Amino acid sequence: MKTSDFRRGARDSLRDENLQAALDNNAQRRKDGRLAAIATLPDFEERRRRAHAVKAEVVAHLDEYLEQFIERASANGIQIHRAADAGEAISLFLEIAQAEMAGRRGTGATPLVAKSKSMLSEEIDFNHALETAGMRVVETDLGEYIIQLRGERPSHIITPAVHLRRADVGKLFAEKLNLPYTEDIPTLTNAARKALREVFLEADIGVSGVNFGVAETGTLCIVTNEGNGRMCTTLPPVHVALMGIERLVPSLDDLALFLSLLPRSATGQKLSVYTNLINGPLPEAEGSTRAQVRHLILVDNGRRLLRNSPLAESLYCIRCGACLNACPVFRETGGHAYGSIYPGPIGSVISCALVDREYDSLAQASSLCGACREACPVDIDLPGMLLRVRAGLIPPMTASAGGKDGRRKEGAGLPVLVKLGLKGFRLAAANSGLFGGLQRLGGLVSRIASPRGEYMHLPRWTGWGYSKEFPRLALHPFRDHWKMVRQEVVETGNPVNRSTGEVEPARSQASGDVSLAARFTEELIALGGKVTPTREEDLPGRLRELLKSRGITRALVDDAGAGYLDGITAVREPDPSVRAGVTGALAGIAESGSLVLVSGRGGTLTASLLPEIHIAVLKVSAIVPSLEEAMKRSEIRTAAAGVIVSGPSRTADIEMTLTIGVHGPGELHVFLVDDAGTD
Amino acid sequence: MTETVQLFVTCLIDSFFPHIGEAMVRVLNRAGARVEFPSRQTCCGQPAFNAGLRGEARPLAEHTIEVFERTSGEIIIPSGSCAAMVRHGYRELFRDEPEWLKRAEGLAERTFEFTEYLVDRRQRTDLGARWAGKLCYHPSCHLMRGLGVDRQPRALLEAVREAEIVPLPEREDCCGFGGVFSVEHPELSGEFLKRKIGNFESTGSPTLVVADTGCLIHLQGGLKRRGMNQRVVHIAEVLDSR
Repeated sequence: MKTSDFRRGARDSLRDENLQAALDNNAQRRKDGRLAAIATLPDFEERRRRAHAVKAEVVAHLDEYLEQFIERASANGIQIHRAADAGEAISLFLEIAQAEMAGRRGTGATPLVAKSKSMLSEEIDFNHALETAGMRVVETDLGEYIIQLRGERPSHIITPAVHLRRADVGKLFAEKLNLPYTEDIPTLTNAARKALREVFLEADIGVSGVNFGVAETGTLCIVTNEGNGRMCTTLPPVHVALMGIERLVPSLDDLALFLSLLPRSATGQKLSVYTNLINGPLPEAEGSTRAQVRHLILVDNGRRLLRNSPLAESLYCIRCGACLNACPVFRETGGHAYGSIYPGPIGSVISCALVDREYDSLAQASSLCGACREACPVDIDLPGMLLRVRAGLIPPMTASAGGKDGRRKEGAGLPVLVKLGLKGFRLAAANSGLFGGLQRLGGLVSRIASPRGEYMHLPRWTGWGYSKEFPRLALHPFRDHWKMVRQEVVETGNPVNRSTGEVEPARSQASGDVSLAARFTEELIALGGKVTPTREEDLPGRLRELLKSRGITRALVDDAGAGYLDGITAVREPDPSVRAGVTGALAGIAESGSLVLVSGRGGTLTASLLPEIHIAVLKVSAIVPSLEEAMKRSEIRTAAAGVIVSGPSRTADIEMTLTIGVHGPGELHVFLVDDAGTD
Repeated sequence: MTETVQLFVTCLIDSFFPHIGEAMVRVLNRAGARVEFPSRQTCCGQPAFNAGLRGEARPLAEHTIEVFERTSGEIIIPSGSCAAMVRHGYRELFRDEPEWLKRAEGLAERTFEFTEYLVDRRQRTDLGARWAGKLCYHPSCHLMRGLGVDRQPRALLEAVREAEIVPLPEREDCCGFGGVFSVEHPELSGEFLKRKIGNFESTGSPTLVVADTGCLIHLQGGLKRRGMNQRVVHIAEVLDSR
């Protein structure tokens, strides 16, 4: 990757009107969404600082946290593997796949891998390696699915198809899925849902990334909106998670803190629709037809070297993509111009360490405006990191990443003329006498070059002359004027009141007097869910009424759901033809309108995932105010897996347009049972 | 109470716009400060530092520290990015050298950006300035984000008599200067500039105020290229107007 490659990519991007429209749309919507979501956290700045401190602690004591995490996760029944680099990670996966597949299918059958979005898998070129090994890998996130069909790589770490518009997707699906051409986003989304549903049900192995690993409990946390992450980690008999070794938080409390920051910064949501909390493999009857096997591959691939380098702070990144959305360069170029699968400000820092050393020149692709740092929920000093990459303060590469030596090289990617210019400037400015002489000479020369105008026209090749004029130097610099300056010190005006001009911090809206049930209801309705308050004795009748009105006579249920059915056939096997699922709920979260569901109650996770309608029964007494409170429930630690559901399944992968109902249920009904006796 | 301050005028104002330096001296005088100008000053080293050429930045940083160490009183810089260089950049540049680091920190503690000094140190917003007409303020990135100075220039402009301050849409967006970025990535820099000028034009204000000369040259150069008559001025010029 040379700077000239980036410049060429950037020029191509600027000429592409379609792309420019898509990128402008992304920048504006993401910025507005993020700011609105952050406004709901009155202590955002304090949380941001805390998150920074937590990550600093984890990175400083990475080995201790890793050891604790591995010990707990192993005890929970997850099989742990460690890969030093990309090659090892791939070999480990192939070994796992071979062992798990043995005897499962007829010899010669092509193993099918259903994959949920993972940037780490892009980093190690996972799909390509698996396909070479004869496997079929299907990306199941809508955006990833689209770009996989196009044979492209993601252009954004959160919204991989951000560079495309609906017409591009319409054409693609017409060609690849034999769909009549349409620009209707729900129709396109539904087509992908149909195609991918078969993949989920038939997949031999589900692969996912990991957003956070919790050291104290060994929990894997994976957030998704569409539900494909739940599918990949619940339905196939084997789940393999890929995780970078730095993606740890010490405790569930810390996880709650990071979950308050990640979705807000990434997509402007209080919580993603599905926050999966995985402790161990699911027993039979929870997911597939047999007990599940879970593996975790922990990947270093340059992270330890990064940790020991001046760029260690970049390991605090939680991959929210906020810095991409805030970056004015990204807004013009999109992700592909960077060449690396990690684009934008964070990509320009870590790509040289995790992908290829040649990417050190990407750090030049910044005006150092600092919008990235301002947007970063972990307060990573991204401009400071970019400056260090520019100064050659980068870690040596691992052998497998094709790096050269770790020799310090200043100004990688800087054009030679700029380098020479800066060197010449330094020689001149190191001596004030010489500097003054050259200033006067410059003044004279620029006066001759442009006798009339105060600004001169420079040719385009100078770079400056491409879009602006350049000022004449003064005939006499300030240092000459100074000798004639007469000073008259008189105090004018009154000292300002310290309080004026101070910008008041935004106050949060008071919500103390709103009851938990009312808040829960309001939040869930805002997410597109439906809430029906009811008395327990009326529940079977109301459930029957709702289902019959949809022509539904059979429902997938968990233990709690089975108890509420009357006149409706209960189905306990994960049958994809059943249209509704009825489950209980461990808890509700008022601040985000979320349901907390856990395994171990007769199939809650599948009944809430497979059908198009999910009906949950929640007791008012089970509603807690916040995510932090919900995390304190012991079941979060003890259940094999759990999920926090915030509204119906959704995506915004096509043109940032919200579409409800992707892989998970498109309808979410909550029957709120008032068991507090206040009725 | 009169105090003596050191003016670090910056190489851009020194070379291109001496009248801004003079305006600044008058404004500082009005705020009760006597100004000294250490004549051996040149450049803080920011261009090379930001480009990644720390080996080239170092001699200039050392030179600046040596020049200003011999003086006393606060050091006033009429540029957010140069002030951020002295306050934060020097710490980074010398982070592995305890002796230089100590000297750099000594300098950093005395250094203030011009508007920050007036409002936070001298407790002044109203310096008797008068400017008839609309004014629009563009917050420079290193000033606003690097130093956290934004309320100060706004308060100073709000106090200018007869001036109507009009808001700049998308005010926080970078103008595309970014030091060598403006020559190294001409197409991108040009796009930022186009967006910023479009936003400025939409305000109907004939004058754009900045507190950083890099942005001033870039924006004024862009207006000139387009044959537009609007002007970009340094905040010292506004505060000096009567």
